[in-house]
Amino acid sequence: MRFVDEFRDAELGRAVATEILAAVEPGRHYKLMEVCGGHTHSIYKYGVDDLLPRNVELVHGPGCPVCVIPMGRVDDGIAIAREPGVIFTCFGDMMRVPGSEGSLLEAKAAGADVRMVYSPLDALRIAKANPEREVVFFAIGFETTAPSTALTLKRAHAEGVRNFSCMCNHVTIVPPLRALLDSPDLRLDGFIGPGHVSTVVGARPFQFIPADYGKPVVIAGFEPLDILHAIRMLLAQLAEGRCAVENQYTRVVPWEGNLRALEAMAEVFELRPHFEWRGLGFISQSGLRLSDAYADLDAERRFAVPGVRVADPKACQCGEVLKGVIKPWECKVFGTACTPERPIGTCMVSSEGACAAYYNFGRFQREREAV
Amino acid sequence: MRVLALDAQRGLALCAADGDGGSDGAHATVEVALVAPVAPGDALLVHAGVALARLQAAP
Repeated sequence: MRFVDEFRDAELGRAVATEILAAVEPGRHYKLMEVCGGHTHSIYKYGVDDLLPRNVELVHGPGCPVCVIPMGRVDDGIAIAREPGVIFTCFGDMMRVPGSEGSLLEAKAAGADVRMVYSPLDALRIAKANPEREVVFFAIGFETTAPSTALTLKRAHAEGVRNFSCMCNHVTIVPPLRALLDSPDLRLDGFIGPGHVSTVVGARPFQFIPADYGKPVVIAGFEPLDILHAIRMLLAQLAEGRCAVENQYTRVVPWEGNLRALEAMAEVFELRPHFEWRGLGFISQSGLRLSDAYADLDAERRFAVPGVRVADPKACQCGEVLKGVIKPWECKVFGTACTPERPIGTCMVSSEGACAAYYNFGRFQREREAV
Repeated sequence: MRVLALDAQRGLALCAADGDGGSDGAHATVEVALVAPVAPGDALLVHAGVALARLQAAP
């Protein structure tokens, strides 16, 4: 299949791995963060980690959209879902994220009309087919998903669909990266940049990383050769003493991003002053809400929500996992009390979560031998 | 996903999903306003029902 098979070629993969081995300095430890949960999933699905020298460590960043939703927001969503006459819609993995008193899936089992959709446009179709019901879409995701919500809201606004609204939990990628870079807990050598977010925002927003923090960034695709190639490019920058934003994923990511998507987002959304991230706390100007022009479609203005901040369960160490401070198997409840079937933490819910990737692909402890 | 047919008036495209090892037979209607114009045969990056990019061959 074009654009896929050529990026899964085992022989080429081994050749790039050999180049990586030749590029590392003996005795130097490299910590590279893949920002996006899609990368984390691919790394363990395809065994990319096993092709790397032991002194190249991959650290998993906060780019899983489900994993960063705090419990209080889930509780707010459940409160709306329990309102009489409401059809509450969300993406499938969001249904399993635990709130303080259960998940949306459990609310559904208790009688709330919660439905899984693949797109906010599906939620809008449900609203048009059920004009006597209030249909709410629980929007999550980074800049990859926000354009889809923006187009849906523009369409609902233009068509005058009055029984549709959106509870917006969209977040942006740059503020948490800056927070991580400012964190004294973490020493990183470079970043594998998020490919699909960059499709929308382009490469330019990441230039603060080399400019302000002196770290290289390589925006990468999601096939195994993409990731290996990006690591090779990062190591080359480090060996040459350079730091810049480079684009490995040129077949999809234009340097300027998708201007039409950015325009749609600018029309529909505005930045919240603060937004809470699971495990990371409140980060300024990191979350989106509906702009005043779309206030009539804002579920948080249409319905009363508790809006209470709920602390993460004490046993769960998703925060440290999301910051790359610990590996999933270092969490006390990983694979025991917390599994994909009964997750305690969000990182175990989504397939893009680091804990789920480790669990599903058998990474229960450090197994790699020195190369 | 690969574009099979277009509804230019509504800004929609009927697309076929490509799974591991070739087309898996799944079809979806995709909003293409953000990448228009597109043509049958184009490969699109689709997320949550919306095409975000048209895949380009390496130069």
